[in-house]
Amino acid sequence: MTLNLPAGAITDAATISPLALFLQADIVVKGVMLGLLLASIWTWAIIISFSFSLRKASKESRKFEADFWKAEDIDRFYESRGKTEFPAAKVMAAGVTEWRRSTAQKVIDRDGTRDRLATSMSSTIASEVDRLSDRLNILATVASAAPFIGLFGTVWGIMRAFTSIAAEQDSSLAVVAPGIAEALFATAIGLFAAIPALIAYNRFSHGINRLEAGLTRFADSFYATLSRELEAQR
Amino acid sequence: MERTEKIGLGVATAGHVLLFGLLSAGFLSTPNPLKLKSPPMDISLVDEVALQSTAPQISTQPPPPSVAPEQGPTEDAKPAPEPAPAPEPTPAPPEPKPVPKPLPKPTPPKPVVKEVPKPAPKPAPPKKEVAKTPAKPKPAPEKPAPKAKPAPEKPAARAKPAPEKPKAAAAAPSKAKSDAKGKSDAPAKASGAGKADKPKGSLLGKDFLKGIDSKEDAPRTPAPPPAAAMGPAQKSALDAELRRQLKPHWRPPSGADADQLVTLLEVRLDKSGAVIGTPEVIDQQGVTASNRPQAKLHAERAIQAVKLASPFRNMPPEFYDQWKWLRPLRFDARLNR
Repeated sequence: MTLNLPAGAITDAATISPLALFLQADIVVKGVMLGLLLASIWTWAIIISFSFSLRKASKESRKFEADFWKAEDIDRFYESRGKTEFPAAKVMAAGVTEWRRSTAQKVIDRDGTRDRLATSMSSTIASEVDRLSDRLNILATVASAAPFIGLFGTVWGIMRAFTSIAAEQDSSLAVVAPGIAEALFATAIGLFAAIPALIAYNRFSHGINRLEAGLTRFADSFYATLSRELEAQR
Repeated sequence: MERTEKIGLGVATAGHVLLFGLLSAGFLSTPNPLKLKSPPMDISLVDEVALQSTAPQISTQPPPPSVAPEQGPTEDAKPAPEPAPAPEPTPAPPEPKPVPKPLPKPTPPKPVVKEVPKPAPKPAPPKKEVAKTPAKPKPAPEKPAPKAKPAPEKPAARAKPAPEKPKAAAAAPSKAKSDAKGKSDAPAKASGAGKADKPKGSLLGKDFLKGIDSKEDAPRTPAPPPAAAMGPAQKSALDAELRRQLKPHWRPPSGADADQLVTLLEVRLDKSGAVIGTPEVIDQQGVTASNRPQAKLHAERAIQAVKLASPFRNMPPEFYDQWKWLRPLRFDARLNR
């Protein structure tokens, strides 16, 4: 007498091969897995590109500020370094442009000039921060939604496993295990996508906040300088 | 910005493909000792062996070899009296030799024997040697009388008288052995002495062999009838064989407390092992409130299993009386294991 255990089920369940688990799965679970996989790839693409751009921006801005305060003539410094694409340079460019336009008139409205300088520089900071943190919301979305999507795939897969148990009327572990394994694989992919996204989101939002604070400090100092200059102008 | 995004996307895609490739190739697969050590195997139960072995046959075999040597002297005795001239001298010497060796006890019977007609006494002495107890000499003289009758009637055919005596001889030694096996050593010695003399009388050898053959045939034929009695080993083997054949077809219902259900069936089988009529449910045990819905299904499945397994194979025909009426045939969770 031969005990015919489902040999295929045993070997497949014993391996952790993602491809085998994916191919066994139901069409819905397959869709969930594919979506989560794409989300994971997209997350990592954002993480890599964002870490590059954020580090570069904050480094260049710090260097620009340091150079700016060492510079003796603002106009000359602006001509040589002010045209670059870094946030601090853009803030300075906005201030200098507004200053030149306001001082070009015959009668200088000091209060109006101060308002315009403050508004233009703060709006430049806001637009730079917006531009930098454009992709951050994707990380936040993936971090919060991926576990639930994976859980949906798992619940669906386990429902399917139970219906197959009911159909076969055999509740041995060899029958139940493959279905549950493939179902749990969906949650695994969901967590696999969500955890890096969550960590990266927290870290990048902290970096953006620091950059914004630095730019605001720089803008305030620059505004104070321009304001003092405006006072001296007769 | 565009460039860094492209780089990021490329690196991320490559990293995912690499990771999943490694996982698919068994990079992190946990070693599975159970899988390695247990390749799928065929399980063959040893019931068939158990079914064929029957105790009674074993018990019948021992007697023949031990009886054979004892018969020597009796045969010697036989030809001696009747066939007349030539054999007489040869049997005569063997008698005295066994007599001195055993003890003084056998000697007193001899004088008695000599007084009685010659054919009778000679078979007698060996029996007395076998049983040294004083009580047996009394039955011994009674036995020689019946033996003496066949002997004179068939003087010419030596072979025929031989088988008759062996049976009687076989009965006697078996009694003697049941009394005491230690005493059987003495007759063996005596027979050995008789054999030493036989080479001298060459005629006796062939008769002696014929006697053994006929004797071995005799116990073999009666042996099977006692074997038909079914021992506990055969019964358990038969149960195991039934269970083995029912198991593939037995699918108990699943559910709460379903494993507590026990269905007892009454099944009648014909000689070919096929079920006669429909199996009937005698009783159901272990029915609780939670498994009541499954109880009826359980009984139906049990009947279905018997029908599916219907021509039961490998059923020993000699035990037909034991399995023609299976009551109760038990279906429970254990059968499924």
